Amino acid sequence: MGPLIPNGVIGGGWDFVIAILLGVAFGFVLEASGFSSSRNLAGVFYGYNFVVLRVFFTALIVAMVGLLYFDYVGWLNLSQIFILPTFLTPMIVGGVIMGVGFVLGGFCPGTSFTGIAIGKLDALFFTIGLYLGIFGFSLAYPLFEDFFTSGDMGNVTLMEITGLPAPYFAVAFTVVALAAFWGTMFVEKRVRKNMKQYKF
Amino acid sequence: MHIHERNPWRTLIAVSVFVVILVIGFLTMPKPLFEYEKSMDESIEALLNGEDYFYPWELEDVIANKPDSIVLFDIRDNFVFGQGHIPGAENLSASTLADPDNLERLTALRDMGVSIVLYGENELQANGPWMFFRQVGFNNIKLLLGGYEYYKANEDDLYSTIDDDAYFSGFPRFNYAEMAAPKDGSELNADQDNKPVQVRRREKTSVAAGGC
Amino acid sequence: MNRNYILLTVLMLVLAVGTLFLTTDDEPKQIAPEELLQQIIQPTRYVTTDQVAKMIIQGDPSLLMVDVRSADEYDEYALPGSVNIPLEELLNEGNMGYFGVPGVKVVFISNDDIRADQTWVLTKRLGVDGTYVMKGGLNCWMQTIIEPSQPDADAPSVDHALYAFRKGAQIYFTGAESATTDDGNVEVQVRRREKTNVAAGGC
Repeated sequence: MGPLIPNGVIGGGWDFVIAILLGVAFGFVLEASGFSSSRNLAGVFYGYNFVVLRVFFTALIVAMVGLLYFDYVGWLNLSQIFILPTFLTPMIVGGVIMGVGFVLGGFCPGTSFTGIAIGKLDALFFTIGLYLGIFGFSLAYPLFEDFFTSGDMGNVTLMEITGLPAPYFAVAFTVVALAAFWGTMFVEKRVRKNMKQYKF
Repeated sequence: MHIHERNPWRTLIAVSVFVVILVIGFLTMPKPLFEYEKSMDESIEALLNGEDYFYPWELEDVIANKPDSIVLFDIRDNFVFGQGHIPGAENLSASTLADPDNLERLTALRDMGVSIVLYGENELQANGPWMFFRQVGFNNIKLLLGGYEYYKANEDDLYSTIDDDAYFSGFPRFNYAEMAAPKDGSELNADQDNKPVQVRRREKTSVAAGGC
Repeated sequence: MNRNYILLTVLMLVLAVGTLFLTTDDEPKQIAPEELLQQIIQPTRYVTTDQVAKMIIQGDPSLLMVDVRSADEYDEYALPGSVNIPLEELLNEGNMGYFGVPGVKVVFISNDDIRADQTWVLTKRLGVDGTYVMKGGLNCWMQTIIEPSQPDADAPSVDHALYAFRKGAQIYFTGAESATTDDGNVEVQVRRREKTNVAAGGC
C-alpha cells in the first residue's frame, strides 16, 4: 500500500497538508516530553536527566520495529522509501558542531521552536542565532562547497554495507537502547543524590 | 521527580496502541492468491530438464478414450475456440486465468490428481501461463508441444507424429552461419524460392538436455 | 512503577526479536505472482524480426540483444552486437546487471521464441522491465531477413514495402558491411522506410 503518495493512494497535492499535521504532532510530542526546557535537554550531558536519550531511543526503536512489521503485513514497501544520501566526513563534522551547539545553547533546532511556543526567552534568542547561522553559512557556502559534497556514499543503508538483514540491526539497536534506559536510570539517581536542588 | 517520569502509564498506553496496530496489521494481512513454490533456480532447472511437456501423439489416446485423469484447456480466447479446438478441450482464455472460479477449478483438479494440459495457438502462446502455473505450485499442468497449429496440421494421423520432430522447439532449423555468410557482390540472388528447410536432426542425447 | 518499566522492556524486546522471524526467504526481490500473471497474458512483449533488424541497422543505442542459446551455438552464429547469456547462467553474478537499465530495450533471442520467452518470464518474475522477445527467433530471422521471400505481384503494397526493407536488410547483414560504399546506400534506403512504417509479418 505505502508509501502513500508515490504509490498514488492519495494525491500529490496532499503532501503539505500531511506535513502540517505531522509537524503539529511532532511539536506536541516534543513539548509533552518536556523538551521545551533547556535544563531537561542539557541534562543528558551532565548526567542528571536522560529524558532526551530515552525519548529519542524509544522513538527510534518503535519506528524501526514498527516499519519492519508494516513492511511484512503489506502496509508499506520499505524498498520504495527515500533514503537520505550519506556524506561521511561532512556528516561527522556536522554532528560535532550540532552537539557543541546543543550543549552551549541548551536546545536543538526543533526543540527551540517548542520553547518559543511556550514563551521562553532563551529559546527565542537561540532561534535568532539559528537563523543568523543559516544566513552566514549560505553566504560562505562557496568556501565549504568542496567539503560539503565530499565523501558521497549515495543512498546507502547499513544492510547494503554490511550485507546483514534489517531485523539483526533492529534487535541490536533495541537491546542497546533498553540497556541504555536501565543504565541511565542508575546514573541519574546517583548524580541527583549529590545535587542540592533540582528543579525544572 | 519530574511529572513526565511519574507517568509510565502514558507509555504503557502508547505501547498498547502500537501493539494493537500491529495485531490489526497481521489480521488484515491480505492472503496472496498465489505464492511462488519453485525458486528461481528450481524453475530454471525444470526448464533445462525439459520436464512436463505433453506430446502431440499422446493426444490420440486422450481424444479417443477421454480419460478422467487428463483435462485439456484451451487458453485461446472464446471466439477462436469456437472456430475449432481439440475435441474434449475446455476453453480457459488467458485473460480469465486469475478469475476465482477458474482458479477454484484448477485447484480442485490438482487436488484430485488430474493432469491438466494447456495449449494455445502455438507453443509460445501457452508458454507463459504454463510457466506461471508451474512456478506457483500447480505441478500437474503440462504444455502441449506444437500447440493447436501442429495438432490441426496432423489431425488425421496424430500417432505417426511420434517420429516427427517438427514440433520441437529450441533447435536451429537452418545452418545460420552458412546462410548469413557474406555474399560477395551477389547481393540480390535471383532465386527467391530457395528456402532450404534442412531441419537439423537432433541427436538422441540432446533431447533431454535441450528440452522440448 | 518499576514493574511497569520491566513490562515495557520485555514487550519491546519480544517485538524486536519477532522481526527476526518475519522474512524467511533469501530469494532476490520478486514481483507478486498476480502481477506476473497479468504481465504474462499480455502479448506486448513480442517484437518482430523486422523491428529488430531496423533497430540494428539504425544503430539504435537503446537496443541490447541477449542471446539465450548455448555458448556453442552463439559462437557459431549470432546477431551482430548480441550478448550471450544461456538460460542456465541467467542468475550468475553480473548477468542480471544487463537488465532493467532505464531506457534500454533488452530483446531476448533464441532459436525460436520459446526459450527466449521462458527467459522473459523468469526475468519478469525478478521485476525487470523493458525486456522483449524476438518472435520467431533466429529461425524466423533467417526466413525473413537473411532470405526473404518475394510476395506475389498482386500482394498488397505494404507487403512489397516490407519485402523491399527486408532486401535492404539482407544486404546489410550478409556482406554490405565490408563494402563501405554500400553503407550509405543502405542507410538511405532504410530511412525512407520509416514513413511507410514497416508492417509486421512473416512467421
